[in-house]
Amino acid sequence: MREKATTLYLGPQHPGITGNMMVKLKVEGDTIVKAETHVGYLHRGFEKLMERRNWLQSFTIVCRICVPEPDPNELNYARAVEEIEGREVPERAEWIRTLVMELSRLASYLLWFGGQNGSAGLYTMPQWSVGDRDYILDLFEELTGGRVYHMYIWPGGVRRDLPEGFTGRVLQTMDYLEKQLVKYDQLMFENTIFQKRAKGIGWIDPAKAIEWGVVGPPLRGAGFKSDVRIDDPYLIYDKLDFVVPTQKGSDVWARSLVRREEFQQSINMVRQIIDKMPAGEVYNKIPNPMKWTIPAGDAYVKAESARGEFGYYVVSDGGNKPRRVHVKGPAYVHGVTLLEEVLKGANISDVSFIMNSLGTCPPEIER
Amino acid sequence: MTEDKHIKEQKIVDQLSGTFQNLTGKVKRERRVEVSVEKKLIPSVLSYVKDQLTFTHMSHMSCVDWLEDEHFELVYILWSPELKVQLLVKTLINRENPVIENVDMIWGQLNTYQREIREMYGIQFTGLEGREEFVLEDWDEMPPMRRDFDTAEYIKDVFFERPGRDGAKDVREVIATRSGEEIPELAKKYSRD
Repeated sequence: MREKATTLYLGPQHPGITGNMMVKLKVEGDTIVKAETHVGYLHRGFEKLMERRNWLQSFTIVCRICVPEPDPNELNYARAVEEIEGREVPERAEWIRTLVMELSRLASYLLWFGGQNGSAGLYTMPQWSVGDRDYILDLFEELTGGRVYHMYIWPGGVRRDLPEGFTGRVLQTMDYLEKQLVKYDQLMFENTIFQKRAKGIGWIDPAKAIEWGVVGPPLRGAGFKSDVRIDDPYLIYDKLDFVVPTQKGSDVWARSLVRREEFQQSINMVRQIIDKMPAGEVYNKIPNPMKWTIPAGDAYVKAESARGEFGYYVVSDGGNKPRRVHVKGPAYVHGVTLLEEVLKGANISDVSFIMNSLGTCPPEIER
Repeated sequence: MTEDKHIKEQKIVDQLSGTFQNLTGKVKRERRVEVSVEKKLIPSVLSYVKDQLTFTHMSHMSCVDWLEDEHFELVYILWSPELKVQLLVKTLINRENPVIENVDMIWGQLNTYQREIREMYGIQFTGLEGREEFVLEDWDEMPPMRRDFDTAEYIKDVFFERPGRDGAKDVREVIATRSGEEIPELAKKYSRD
């Protein structure tokens, strides 16, 4: 008997969906014929809100755009404002910002380890990695006062210097995470179930990857040595020694290997930063925030987040409020056009597995 | 702008202004180039920079509402993985009749950007396919990202205060009323109203 096509709605509330969004699936048997992303369940209108807030008030909004990784938002907003205004940032602040960015990348990857395994039904890994992520959040709490939203990197530098003994505690955490990585290998990468689930699934055509707007680990998993930290250097990444890992497979397995290697690279980078960090000021004071105006102009800045190129387009009309702040997270492409393409021909049970490997994050699609 | 320092960036500007009429461009800084073109040239310029100048990666597309000048500004932000240069292609559209050519055949992901801009600013992209609704649902007001759409006014018109919560608008004022204290003059200027 010939199977008829059916329509399935995955989400907006579903344990496998990375946030509130819906994927409308047209399926024949277990195979997806067509996928369509529907968003609109989270829309908070942050970009509009920022047009009514002054430059400093907007800074408290940006970090809330992405829960798993708020720091690239803070950094991009600060860098864009600094670029338009021409404000200098003290050197030590640049080093501290890099430290925060790498810690944030580690925390984000730990959350991803959990998500990727959880969506394959392997529930031990989420327990471990989310628990380990909390050790990084402890560091953030000590440094900034907030565990998830830090509001620490602001225009002109960072809010305050490192607390006494902080670098020692960071190094201890890095040693711990490096040891844990061995266990993660046993639990995840040497696990037959994970290997069977990940290999050959969610394939992205490398010939079309750049044109489709793929960024971050999925692009590096397709064999491209592309990383904003190297291609468009910012902060002090040009003073650090690190490699950009690539893989050829272009499937979930390749993307997982890339992330695993980047995790190790970030640990190494944190150690280098602490080793080489110079002393000095951390904040170039801004004027009275109520009267603070930014000269007319625009800037596009981007940073390499754990999920790929994260861009901010900021426009000033010379006033005390932004004219326009437009956020471009990697998920804006990964979660819509790319996901719709990759899901064609996939099995229903692989949808959330593929979504996790692409780093889909709905709050970035509807800011 | 020191031209000797930004040789590859200046070369892109020269090449584009030599190819297209009425195209103005400048080097903003290292790895950042900006060009402004008429809106009818947008499809040609985008496909030219993609095919001839290696700007194969579409980073971002944005829209800015210049209400006072009566136009919208569309910005296409492209990246060349070979040259390592970010190119901003800008064009102005009349605010009264905001229509421009759809270009999602050049980069498929532009479909999402254009659908969002259509919904949020009311700009029509000739030939754009895809669902009308992106983020909003049953929206028949003015496109909400336009500068003349006042969010605070809209909220006042559409929603109502929950009974008994009227006094909770300004915490400072509520506390002052309850305790019978006066709000000092310096704090009043930060009041929500």
